Amino acid sequence: MTLAATFLAGAKSRLLPASVPFRFFAAAAFFHLLMWLALLAGAEQAADFRGGPGPALAAVHFLTLGVLTMSAIGASVQLLPVATRRAHAAVWPIRLVFWLVVPGMLVLIAGMYTGEPSPLNIGATLTSVGLIAFATLLADNLRRAGALAVVAAYGWASLVALILLVALGFALALDYEIAILTNHRAVALAHMILGGFGFMGMLAIGFSHVLVPMFALAAAPAKRAAFTAFVLASAAVTIGGAGALIDSTAILTFAALVGLCAAGLYLWLMHRVLVTGMRKRLGLSFVLIRAGWFMLPATLLIGIAALYGLAGPNGPTLFGFMLTGGWLLTFLLGILQRILPFLASMHAARSAGGAPPLLSELAASGLLKVHAVCHGTALVVLASAIAADSTMYLRIGAAIGLIGAVVFGWFTGQVTRRLRA
Amino acid sequence: MSCGKSENGSRVWRTADALHVDVRGLDPPAPMVAILRMIDGGEVDDVLIAHLDREPVFLYPELDLRGWTHEIILPPCDGGRGTDEVQIRLARLIA
Repeated sequence: MTLAATFLAGAKSRLLPASVPFRFFAAAAFFHLLMWLALLAGAEQAADFRGGPGPALAAVHFLTLGVLTMSAIGASVQLLPVATRRAHAAVWPIRLVFWLVVPGMLVLIAGMYTGEPSPLNIGATLTSVGLIAFATLLADNLRRAGALAVVAAYGWASLVALILLVALGFALALDYEIAILTNHRAVALAHMILGGFGFMGMLAIGFSHVLVPMFALAAAPAKRAAFTAFVLASAAVTIGGAGALIDSTAILTFAALVGLCAAGLYLWLMHRVLVTGMRKRLGLSFVLIRAGWFMLPATLLIGIAALYGLAGPNGPTLFGFMLTGGWLLTFLLGILQRILPFLASMHAARSAGGAPPLLSELAASGLLKVHAVCHGTALVVLASAIAADSTMYLRIGAAIGLIGAVVFGWFTGQVTRRLRA
Repeated sequence: MSCGKSENGSRVWRTADALHVDVRGLDPPAPMVAILRMIDGGEVDDVLIAHLDREPVFLYPELDLRGWTHEIILPPCDGGRGTDEVQIRLARLIA
């Protein structure tokens, strides 16, 4: 190997083999389908869902573990080494995470669906081990992310939330077999806050400080304001988690208000990035991203209203739906619409030796339009169904969402096929 | 050779054969934005040599969209010391 080849191999080794990140994205697209199917199956209990085994609990975890977590793992193992200039020490631990988390969550969610304690606990153990392994990989990369202080701060907070989330999730699973919790509902709410706002929310917001400027071709947000938003967001998650555990409406309200301040500052920073960016026409993906952003403060307002019984009889369900399906899923789907062809183009450029296929060739815009319309319509119909306590509307919404998921799966498959061609 | 520092912290100079931009030390995505700003702003004739401290893998699809090619060149004084500097020659595709 020549000196030049050695040098280039070193620089490019930060880009993982395409099959590694894309297996996580493909799994997320598959779980996206299963999520809508589970929601269709559990439509009768979904409108007023407050927890407990059954298809609705399975649908929630297909979304949080299957779609959101798998996408987060795929994106972070690929993007962080490139940004931090430090390659993963080895690729096999990432593959191990996949082979622990995917079978683990399938068994876990099967246990949730049927209410059988044994698969629930076996699946929870496998998934927990896989997520702790991912947390170790993430920590290894974050400690070297000197140049990305804001992203690293959000990453560390997300990692702490992940560990607490796994611990509470494990306790909740065990509680179905041997009653160990005095207040299962309070722990479940803390688990949801740590998962939705902590692990996934912090990771999504953290990565957006690099991804959004990159897509809009703008400078990164001002560091001081970004750190202020980070401190507020961390405080909100901490206070919210504590408020849920001690079952205090006042503390939960305070946490939501602090969260609103954090969200307001974060959204203002993102607005500045878009206004100052060189690229003004950001495409369909940013319609979804903006819709997700809109639903972040809306979720917190609905949460406050639900605490005081002002969001209707199914207010708590609406809050959970807006958090996971509204803000997080919509934002993530927008990012995936943009990042999947982008990563594929990068990988294709590597294998083609500097002649990448055009982004537009990799991104089938027709499919993405259908998916975005289906996703948006499903959200509106489902939110209305929860508010109106209507099983029929819920089935219609889930069916529309399922069509969107099929189309999104097709798009993911198309990008992957072109990558391999 | 004239040398100047721009608002975004990058250093720009011109040699006989090309325009150079040094974006080392900038946080992502500032290096990519600085390079694209020069290309889109019409500051570069046909060739730009970018000095970076990482391979700009996210830049490649953007270059491709604009009809520019890229070629990684070794740092002239690298000598196998394993420096992390990357130099890339960006050239406008001739239609």
